[in-house]
Amino acid sequence: MRGRANAQPFSARPQDLPVKADLARLRVEYGKDERLAFLGHLEVLSTVERSIRRARLPFSIGNGFARRMRIQFSQALPVGASSACEYFDLRLTERVNPQEALDALRASTPRGLAPARAAYVPGRLPALEAWLDRSIWELEVRGASWGADDIAAAIGEVVRRGSLTYLRGEKAKTVDVASSLVGFSAFDGGGFIGLTLETRLTGGNALRPQVLLDAALGLSGMPRYDSVRVRRTLQAHEEDGRLVEPFCGSDAIATSSLF
Amino acid sequence: MRAARENLFHLIEPLLPHVEHPSRYLDHEWGVCEEQDGPFHLCMVYADVYEVGQPNLGVAILYNNVNAQEGMSCERCYLPWKDMSALMRERGVPLLSLEGAAPLASFDAIGFTLAHELIATNVLETLDLAGIALTSAERDEDDPIILAGGPSAWNCEPLAPVFDAVLLGDGEESIVEVCACIRDARAEGLSRADLLRRLARVPGTYVPSLYDVVVDESTTRWGRAVPRAGEDAPKVVLKRCVNDFASTPAVAQRIVPYMGIVQDRLSLEVLRGCARGCRFCQAGMTYRPVRERPAEQVVRCGVEGLLTSGHDEISLTSLSTTDHSQCELILNKMNEALDGQGIRVSIPSQRLDSFGVDMAAAVAGGKRGGLTFAPEAGSQRLRDVINKNVTEEDLERAARNAFAAGWRRMKLYFMIGLPTETDEDVVGIARMAERVLEIGREVVGRGPKSGVSVSISVAVLVPKPYTPFQWVGQLKPEEVRRRQQLLLHEVRDRAIRVSYHDADVSLVEGALSKMGRAGFELVRAAWERGCRFDAWTSEFDFCAWNEAARSCGLDLEEVACEQFPLTAALPWAHTSPGVSMGYLQREWRRAVEGVTTPDCTRESCTGCGVCPALGVHNVIQGVRS
Repeated sequence: MRGRANAQPFSARPQDLPVKADLARLRVEYGKDERLAFLGHLEVLSTVERSIRRARLPFSIGNGFARRMRIQFSQALPVGASSACEYFDLRLTERVNPQEALDALRASTPRGLAPARAAYVPGRLPALEAWLDRSIWELEVRGASWGADDIAAAIGEVVRRGSLTYLRGEKAKTVDVASSLVGFSAFDGGGFIGLTLETRLTGGNALRPQVLLDAALGLSGMPRYDSVRVRRTLQAHEEDGRLVEPFCGSDAIATSSLF
Repeated sequence: MRAARENLFHLIEPLLPHVEHPSRYLDHEWGVCEEQDGPFHLCMVYADVYEVGQPNLGVAILYNNVNAQEGMSCERCYLPWKDMSALMRERGVPLLSLEGAAPLASFDAIGFTLAHELIATNVLETLDLAGIALTSAERDEDDPIILAGGPSAWNCEPLAPVFDAVLLGDGEESIVEVCACIRDARAEGLSRADLLRRLARVPGTYVPSLYDVVVDESTTRWGRAVPRAGEDAPKVVLKRCVNDFASTPAVAQRIVPYMGIVQDRLSLEVLRGCARGCRFCQAGMTYRPVRERPAEQVVRCGVEGLLTSGHDEISLTSLSTTDHSQCELILNKMNEALDGQGIRVSIPSQRLDSFGVDMAAAVAGGKRGGLTFAPEAGSQRLRDVINKNVTEEDLERAARNAFAAGWRRMKLYFMIGLPTETDEDVVGIARMAERVLEIGREVVGRGPKSGVSVSISVAVLVPKPYTPFQWVGQLKPEEVRRRQQLLLHEVRDRAIRVSYHDADVSLVEGALSKMGRAGFELVRAAWERGCRFDAWTSEFDFCAWNEAARSCGLDLEEVACEQFPLTAALPWAHTSPGVSMGYLQREWRRAVEGVTTPDCTRESCTGCGVCPALGVHNVIQGVRS
């Protein structure tokens, strides 16, 4: 692995700098767990960037005024939601062994955001944020006075209406539920009500699991719960009606022994 | 009674979905000291929200030093924002430390950093939220020992009833000695009163409860603190000073926060102290002598610090970084070592008289954002009064260099309410800003796309203890507002933006800077009326402060604007940073005459008294020119 002191020089003329698409594109899967589920998206971004610097990977710097690291992240998670499957694509000035990169990243990242897998992906793939357009969410609702069938019926009602509108701060947002919600199921987990939601990015406002839950309760006049844990368990790309896994096509996928 | 030490994060976690910025309360940052086994436990508190307190270098230094000791642990605590504290009170959750999520009331000692005067009500709020009695006199035998220190400890009298002990000066060594003293006294089974007596024997430690306040014809109305009859406490407590500054770790910040904090970069203290002698500047008097780190240490530790923290910006901090005798060498070496890594090297503010062409090229790497200078006053006459030894030519040269080197936005700091100030001086601020703008347009161009702009920030002089202006009364708020309006009226170009400090906030700050121990009643009354986060513009409630003052029989304006006789014993005279009263009186007389005093790191000794009083001396690595 090359040290950062040898990384892309600042003084290079723009025409001499590498073209972004030609740079090695390392895809990393990481989790968002425990109390770090309460980090905001920007906080995750800056923490991951600092972890990469600490790992001394030969990251590429953009040519703009701000000279930022060339890195892309998957769709933002709501504050408070945990995840087993977040992703970033990092552009490197040279191909580092993915296992070495993953080990270095794990050693330099806070435990709650620990990377799990890494592999090179084709440089010309679309941006991660748009490409990973399908998610599966699991919700654990505690302190609810209603059952799994009740909430399933209430969500069904929201779907029948086609869309929902909610306030984010002072701004009203409308979500196309009919096309954003691919499927859902509810079950009684013994002490909690479990919900599984499959969502799709449509180009409009993204469907947030807790927003759907709260809208369903509001619509049906059902009482609120004490607490809810939201976890993203899968992200994938939808192509011709089937799901493509983020590392699909990558030959050497480095994995962490702890996962 | 001392609370049990236990991890209570499970009480905070359910509150996190309901508050703004939950990352304030998470802990588990990179670089945090996870092992908190004690058995002696100290908690360092910055009584403001996480993003304001976390960048504080003082807390970071003491945190590292205590955690490095065998058998001692140090955690952090910040004051929760109002949404969280309301929920905590509602659900009976006490204030917890970050690392161990342990109740503050379970610690052996708690150390407050007094970063500024307006933090006073937050100190009371912290203690109340922790379930700890507000005053030393009300605490039980085994309650935590409440310590304080930091830049505003130079008049800690309005909070003296709160603190069991106040650490004066550099805390690197004294915090460890104080903790060891508490630990040993507890082990010996000493009573709380005897423990405090023993603390008073640790050099640089002021124990307020051992002093009585005496008001007589030699004092101001606030009196002076004298050792109580029969107590073996020093008449004057001298500050502690680390003379071998270069032997201390250059990078104190090891914790890398998750959330964006107010100074979101790695800080490296390149030097401590300043001998420029600006007569309004408390830090310039209280952090003497000047001690520089060698360039080699700064560059090596800076590069290492960036590699281990992952920050993309490093700030070379001090009271006056460009005064470092090896400043250009440091900047050049650091830029060279960090080339190609997207890392910015910055300096908080620049001295006008040392911002040459080379410096302009070396600061900020490839980025050219805003640049800040502090002329402080609008005329040469007034700059001589305050001993700000910079000239109009310095400003013009610095501005020309900066615009030529690519900067487009210039920020200039000024003050109003300085002694002997006239309307002409206030108008002079507008003329200086116009001159800088004109230079920018000459160098860059006059078109609307040139992007040249100047912003001026105008503070109100708050006369601070241990400065030559400590006897001066603050300018009345009505007159402050008139002069602010005069300045606004005089600034005619829309490319010049003017911002100024609120006269009422400055008035409260001034009152807290001047009052003696009796001022505690005002602080307490203000806190009882809901005053919190007074340094936040959105939270400051002048009506509540006024009501509090009335309830104590005080008038804020009368307190802050009172002029003290030059010979009076001042409320803070029993604590000393080593600067002699004679020197400060002499400096006041020279100010009135408009006579400047040179910098002793460039010319001969000016007789401030610090070196003989503390047995220290300036440490300059090269030659200051």
